[in-house]
Amino acid sequence: MNYRILHLLFLLHAVIPASAALADSDSAVFKKDILPILQAKCVQCHGSENQESMVRLDTLSTDLMKNRAAAETWHEVLNALDSAEMPPEDEDQLTDEELASLTGWIRKTLDDYVKATSRRSGRVVHRRLNRVEYQNTLLDLLGLDMDYALDLPPDSPSEDGFQNNGQALQMSAFQLEYALATARRALDRVIVSGPAPQQYDHEFTESNVRNWRGNVERSNRLQRSQVFLGTMVKDYPEAGEFRIRVTFSAELRPNKGYPILELSVGYRPDTQILFRNVDSVEIKSEAQQTLEFRGRLENHPLPVRGQGKYPGLVVRVRNAYDDGSQRPKAQKGKFPDEPNLPVINIHSVQFEAPFFEQWPPQLHRQIIGAPAEQQNDETSWANKSLTQFLPRAFRRPVTEQEIKRFVDFFQTVRPEFPTVEEAMRETLAMALISPDFLYLVEPAGDEKRPVTSSELASRLSYFLWSTMPDDQLAARAADDSLLNQTVLASEVERLLADKRSQRFVDQFTRQWLNLDVVDRVAISKSYYPKFPEGLKQDMIGETQQFFAFLLQENDSALKLLQSDFTMMNEPLAKHYGYPDVWGRDFRPVKLNRDDHRGGLLGHASVLLSNSTGADSHAVRRAVWIRDRLLDDPPAPPPPDAPTLDEADPEFLTLSIREQLEVHRERAACASCHKDIDPWGIALENFDAVGLWRDEVRRQKGKRFDKLPVNAVDTLPDGQELNGVDGLRRYLLNNRKQQFARALVTRLLTYALGRKLELTDESAIDDLTNKFVKNDYRLGDLVTQIVTSESFQTK
Amino acid sequence: MARKSWHLNRRTFLMGTGGVSLALPWMECMADAAPATASATDSPRRLCAMYWGFGIGLPKEDSEHANWRWFPKGEGRDFEFTDSLRPLECFRDDLTVLGGLSHPNGRKMGGHDTGDTFLTGAFLNNQYLENTISVDQVAAASVSDQTRFSSLVLSTDGGVGEPTRSSTLSYNDKGRPMPAMHQPQQIFDRFFGAGDADSIAQRRRLKSASKMLDRVLEDSRSLNRRLGKQDQEKFAEYLASVRQIEQRVERSQRWLEIPRPELRDEERDMLSLESDDKAPRLFMRTMYDLMYLAFRTDSTRVATYQITNMADASSNAGKFPQLEGFKSNLHGLAHGWNKPEGAVKLGQWDQFMAEQFSYFLRRLASAQEGNGSVLDHSLILYGSSNSTTHHNHNYPLILAGGSNLGLQHGRYLKLGSDVPMANLFVTLLNCFGKETEAFADSTGELSELTHA
Repeated sequence: MNYRILHLLFLLHAVIPASAALADSDSAVFKKDILPILQAKCVQCHGSENQESMVRLDTLSTDLMKNRAAAETWHEVLNALDSAEMPPEDEDQLTDEELASLTGWIRKTLDDYVKATSRRSGRVVHRRLNRVEYQNTLLDLLGLDMDYALDLPPDSPSEDGFQNNGQALQMSAFQLEYALATARRALDRVIVSGPAPQQYDHEFTESNVRNWRGNVERSNRLQRSQVFLGTMVKDYPEAGEFRIRVTFSAELRPNKGYPILELSVGYRPDTQILFRNVDSVEIKSEAQQTLEFRGRLENHPLPVRGQGKYPGLVVRVRNAYDDGSQRPKAQKGKFPDEPNLPVINIHSVQFEAPFFEQWPPQLHRQIIGAPAEQQNDETSWANKSLTQFLPRAFRRPVTEQEIKRFVDFFQTVRPEFPTVEEAMRETLAMALISPDFLYLVEPAGDEKRPVTSSELASRLSYFLWSTMPDDQLAARAADDSLLNQTVLASEVERLLADKRSQRFVDQFTRQWLNLDVVDRVAISKSYYPKFPEGLKQDMIGETQQFFAFLLQENDSALKLLQSDFTMMNEPLAKHYGYPDVWGRDFRPVKLNRDDHRGGLLGHASVLLSNSTGADSHAVRRAVWIRDRLLDDPPAPPPPDAPTLDEADPEFLTLSIREQLEVHRERAACASCHKDIDPWGIALENFDAVGLWRDEVRRQKGKRFDKLPVNAVDTLPDGQELNGVDGLRRYLLNNRKQQFARALVTRLLTYALGRKLELTDESAIDDLTNKFVKNDYRLGDLVTQIVTSESFQTK
Repeated sequence: MARKSWHLNRRTFLMGTGGVSLALPWMECMADAAPATASATDSPRRLCAMYWGFGIGLPKEDSEHANWRWFPKGEGRDFEFTDSLRPLECFRDDLTVLGGLSHPNGRKMGGHDTGDTFLTGAFLNNQYLENTISVDQVAAASVSDQTRFSSLVLSTDGGVGEPTRSSTLSYNDKGRPMPAMHQPQQIFDRFFGAGDADSIAQRRRLKSASKMLDRVLEDSRSLNRRLGKQDQEKFAEYLASVRQIEQRVERSQRWLEIPRPELRDEERDMLSLESDDKAPRLFMRTMYDLMYLAFRTDSTRVATYQITNMADASSNAGKFPQLEGFKSNLHGLAHGWNKPEGAVKLGQWDQFMAEQFSYFLRRLASAQEGNGSVLDHSLILYGSSNSTTHHNHNYPLILAGGSNLGLQHGRYLKLGSDVPMANLFVTLLNCFGKETEAFADSTGELSELTHA
């Protein structure tokens, strides 16, 4: 749709007078016709005595204009009635007439509310950059490699798990204080003053450290038990960029992974953190080559000069490839050659720091130009620098008056500082704590309006790249061409094709699927004594790469439910039992025919994150499916929810399914759990770490009891779910539409950075219909969201 | 590293500040130099609160595992610790175990929703999530001009978390959660770091920050006028934050003249600043060490520390028990309280927690000041807002320290559910020196605490 037409529609919409809130007559209707039904059939569980699921109906406000939360609750009530979830089957049922008048009244009341508020509610809230966005934005704006978010408090997720929700992201004095400290620290590094510092250049052709900690050998020939160490005792700088060039060749081995060149700089012997990695690279060729690495010294743990164990600055190269086999013992400090493992042969390591091609360095010049420019007229120089910097920092055109405010500040503080650079750092820092930088600012009145082109550029860039617009996108915004929907669509395509879109995949899948939990589940050592902790990252990698693959191929999102392939790399393939997958890169691997793994429900990340680390957790898995895949989370447990009387030792000999059945014998538990448990029971064939099993192990002292897996259960509507395959079939045959709607809802929530409301229902329906008609293509869904009215309206 | 000694006497100290009248922080080394002025009333009064989620082990008194019942046997002075609290035996006369208390509002809330209101007593549900000021911040506001920092807010997860699953115990006067710090190194740098080595440069930057904030505030106000109503509500946080840092900057300028507190060598040596939530025991002890140091040096007088919370899988603290060799995570462990083996495991975890708490008390007791120890001048609350998991009544609570501030100890007091927990807060605030008649839904004082 042409943007101008969209704009016109808006104007038309705006002149229709808003219907008033519930008139008195409506309130009378409620009292006469509706309240009696509620009192007869609902209030026993949702009234003054009990508030099941924290819902009380007899006093729930009907003045929705004044009480938005009540509108959401009435909407829930309507859904519960429509889906025949309420009243519960063992309670007194509504007659057809009662049901009709109740749902009719709720529907009409909600419609009126939506009509009256759609021009005002369902709007993107002024939102601040979260830690990830803040980090990426400063990195792009200043070009300096630094951990900008280090000192900031963790961000709060929203109720539905998103970390870019404007309402949930708080601002506090603490946050702002550290934003200022961070800005100053970064600007101290970017903007230099004084003459060029001395540059150091070292070349190492062999390790020059005699004694070294740990059970390793110094060598140029690196397998998993050797290190290459270059030490500088005195002549090295404390700060600045470094460049390290490593010249090496490799020996590859058949049916093994590639050697991994891992470069680190350190070290700080008095702390637990000795080194920090600069990078690690898989080496896929045997030929001699030189790799160049850049970093900043101050990002690494540095020795303190004069301390007792002072060894100097150390550059370390290792071969991080380890096939997990038993490591041989050293003999007289030498480890035997391991003929099956790949080798890296180091020829030389060159270290240069501080590294710069000219002084002041490029980053400095990029922001405030060459020093010659500032000598004549500081004010016009400041003006020129700020004219360039502020529009990038604020991600929008900046008025002359705004620039003048900053120049003015520069002039005010200039006399306080001995150098012009220091005054300039303070001026730039002011920009970096101002709301125009820290927030996605979209000024607007009480009525909705289309977003401006620069606002659109920012929305798009933070949606797909988690950072500020790049030069091209900014240019499309500057000349308003971005408002042309064809240009916009081609920008979406460009952003998605760029490798920065991996940030969208990373952020969205983490938050939608709750993948961070994988790191927080402690794996039971007695159940899984050999589980390698690093595998968790590969599990997360599978899910993210799978999503990325579908997105890049513009493939059907239904493959998230069922597919005949998954993404694997070497460690994960080993875990799943697939031979001949080598290296760290993920690639699609066709699944064996009798494998039950294809789709999210077979991903180890999903199965592990909803386990206890020792065994599966059927309830948690069930809640995950209903919440994350179907957007229908069950109500949280009520206050004082009874626990089972598990003192009976017999209970422990029951399977999970039988235990949950005992649980459901209690009416208080059954009303919710009968529609929770079966979803998780179906996945019982997967153990805690996502491997297939036919028996459940349960520890008893030092032994394990074995119980048969029972993965069959029945949903409240009588539908039997038979194992993961049955569950998949059921989802694809009966819940396809619901899954599509859930995915649209979650993706739209992430794209907008806000909770969706009742007024968004029609937009969700509309997007879902298009998505379904378009064969659930994931890439196109992203474009449809960007071109939707919701995305382009403030 | 060269360490300057700063055993100044009060006179040179005051002269050094250029005649500006400052509220002097209480400093132990000065008490040594000028014993004549040191009396009990000179010692600063402190308040701190620790919290953990999901409650405690509470097997029945007549059951096989009654020795893992958190609450002691007996009552009043005649009580006996079970194994769960055994590590606190040596502090028997410095603490009171409180039974039966809870927040009346909390009893109406979800079983896992009460962590946020432990120190506030407010009512929250999914439609109403506005909290109110926490008791520690009332105390902090009353003495905030006395110390370099008005309070120290800590938790394992850091930040504020989400409503009903917060990762902080402290709420400001608007009821907004205050971000907790969780990185030992950052806490140390903030409280004890040398700051900018060059104090002239530091002064320049403070001055510039103050001008910067003025402008930012001015510009933000004009931006605020162009925002929609909903955005304005959200933006109020930013405006309030700018004003608060302005105050902080002003405060820092005042404190610039006063050297950062010097730590003793042994205090530095024992700190494990690189510890993190992967090693719970070391991490908890480090957090306790930092609170102790903040109190000992009178850098602040108010601290809160949320040791664990009720965010379960989304919390780093959730896997603490597993990292210490238990089989379940915190939530799983708590749910096992009525399983045969579960009660023992949970009891052992309670004991582990009590050991770390005992470590904190030991540190505070070892530092002498005035006519007692830092412990004698600190009001310390240690507790949870669940008894057993899901149950929002009969909070397990221990009140320790403060013997020189009027608290009477050495008892297990069983109180009725008719006593709101806020009554405890009223008494604590009065002992702290902040005269208080009411807090949240209090109905009076908890006078049992100050009367033998």
